[in-house]
Amino acid sequence: MGKMKKFFQYDNIGYLFVLPAFAYMLFFVGYPIVSNIILSFQDVTLKTLKADTKAFVGFQNYIELFQQDHVLMTSLWNTLFFTVACLLFQFVIGFALAVFFNKNFKIAKPIRGLLMMPWMIPITVTALIFKFMFGTDVGIINYFLQGLGLISNNIDWLTNPKTAMIAVVIANIWIGIPFNMILISTGLTTIPKELYESASIDGANKFHLFTKITLPLLKPTIESVLILGFIYTFKVYDLIYVMTSGGPVNSTQVLSTYSYKLSFELFKYSKGAAVANILFVILFIISLIYLKYVYSEEEA
Amino acid sequence: MDEDKKISRKQNIGYCIVALLLFAVLLFPLYWIFVTSLKTEQEIFQIPPTFWPHILNDASYKAQLQSGDFNMFRSFANSLIIAISSMLIAIVLAVPASYGIAKYNFKGKKAIILGFLVTQMLPVSVLLTPLFIMFKNMHLYNTFWSTILADATIGIPFSVLILKNYFASIPRELEEAAYIDGCNRFTAFIRVLIPIAKQGVIVCGIFSFLYAWGDLAYGMTFIIDQEKRPITAGIFNFMGQYGTKWSYLTAFAVVTIIPVALIFIFMQKYIISGMTSGAVKG
Repeated sequence: MGKMKKFFQYDNIGYLFVLPAFAYMLFFVGYPIVSNIILSFQDVTLKTLKADTKAFVGFQNYIELFQQDHVLMTSLWNTLFFTVACLLFQFVIGFALAVFFNKNFKIAKPIRGLLMMPWMIPITVTALIFKFMFGTDVGIINYFLQGLGLISNNIDWLTNPKTAMIAVVIANIWIGIPFNMILISTGLTTIPKELYESASIDGANKFHLFTKITLPLLKPTIESVLILGFIYTFKVYDLIYVMTSGGPVNSTQVLSTYSYKLSFELFKYSKGAAVANILFVILFIISLIYLKYVYSEEEA
Repeated sequence: MDEDKKISRKQNIGYCIVALLLFAVLLFPLYWIFVTSLKTEQEIFQIPPTFWPHILNDASYKAQLQSGDFNMFRSFANSLIIAISSMLIAIVLAVPASYGIAKYNFKGKKAIILGFLVTQMLPVSVLLTPLFIMFKNMHLYNTFWSTILADATIGIPFSVLILKNYFASIPRELEEAAYIDGCNRFTAFIRVLIPIAKQGVIVCGIFSFLYAWGDLAYGMTFIIDQEKRPITAGIFNFMGQYGTKWSYLTAFAVVTIIPVALIFIFMQKYIISGMTSGAVKG
């Protein structure tokens, strides 16, 4: 009995340590999530923001968004396109770089380290850099493309609805490459070298080594890189907001920038909240898939 | 893959050349804004562009120290205040929490871990409107506090999840030895366990600082006075007003990168460990 009591006391102390952080997150994250859901079922605008009672409108905001608001569908589609395009390129390039820098040459490690820089820089700064480089007349990208003979006239990258998305995707790929590279590099170091040696002795060529050993053994790493990449990319905000603010003509409007626009430029707080919740639900489902996957890995 | 395999001298040189080329291409944007920040406005618009400044111009940097619209010095200080405070909140709360999770088996622990994991994946847009309303009601709107408190919500879950692995790896015997020496649970935690987990605490400090340093959405939404805004919001504001003043804009960008670059140069190993453990183990 005494032993049991002592054990109980012991583990109860854990609550004391966790409580401050937990209470903080409950207050500044948990409560806002709930109030964002409530907000999306109300009709709060600049006029009603300070009112004591706010009208409850049920699913009206969501219904209006899906039925009457073509910008929502555009944003949804743009977010998906942006995410898939970025993931595809940053993953392939990151993978190739990881394999390359895994070779045992002199400056491999320091150079790979320096290539992490783009991931660390505040995204506002990255957005500024690419806005400058994609400038129509001042931009170095048009200058290079002209020099290579690929274009004859300067492209107005960020002010043309047809090319703005390409520009923001390229900027985001630049941010994402280091993340993919470093995680895959870490994954590569866990593959035992003996596997390659014995397979080489058995006459396997480089292509076989890659498809039969590297890829299957990296599967867990690849999956978590892609799912995490999806989550991080899908909630893109700063980069697009600074580079194009969702324009021109909504061609780069994504869910997060549209939500911001509704709430803080048009002051339709409830509509903005509803869009944020749509984004949240999608990410939540993806996160659950990821977490289920992580937990099953840990148990295995 | 080929980690231990000896490669010939010739191959070594070949790889090094390719590596340097990749380096030059991938980090060209950083070089480009740096040289641009040292050019005159006229030279920036020159065609063909110059790849290093022909006339060295440091006016864009000097202007940041003077008063007026181009003064970024203040925004820089604001960002430092915000990022350091939010880092301190994150560390003070996350260190005990991660220890509690790592060392005690209380009810609901799994749910709490799950909660921290999910908040890490939360889009900023979900919190923006409700926090905006909340800070208005709490009279924190348009103060440093709003952004500090909001930024810490990014640092805390990250730090808890990273640090719990550090604490979990500390052998129980060390803690017990501290009890024999007369420590209680709290003094043992402070005097023995935290110093052992120091590396992890540094990783969390760095990342909490960087998250807050890079934040734009919170600083821009919760703080309205330009004199109180962080540097990211200052840059954004400046871009809207003087969109083609690239000499100033690139100089602001370079100044904003400085703390990041310093952290990067002196603490690279912590960053890589933070990225990999934070991402893979979630």
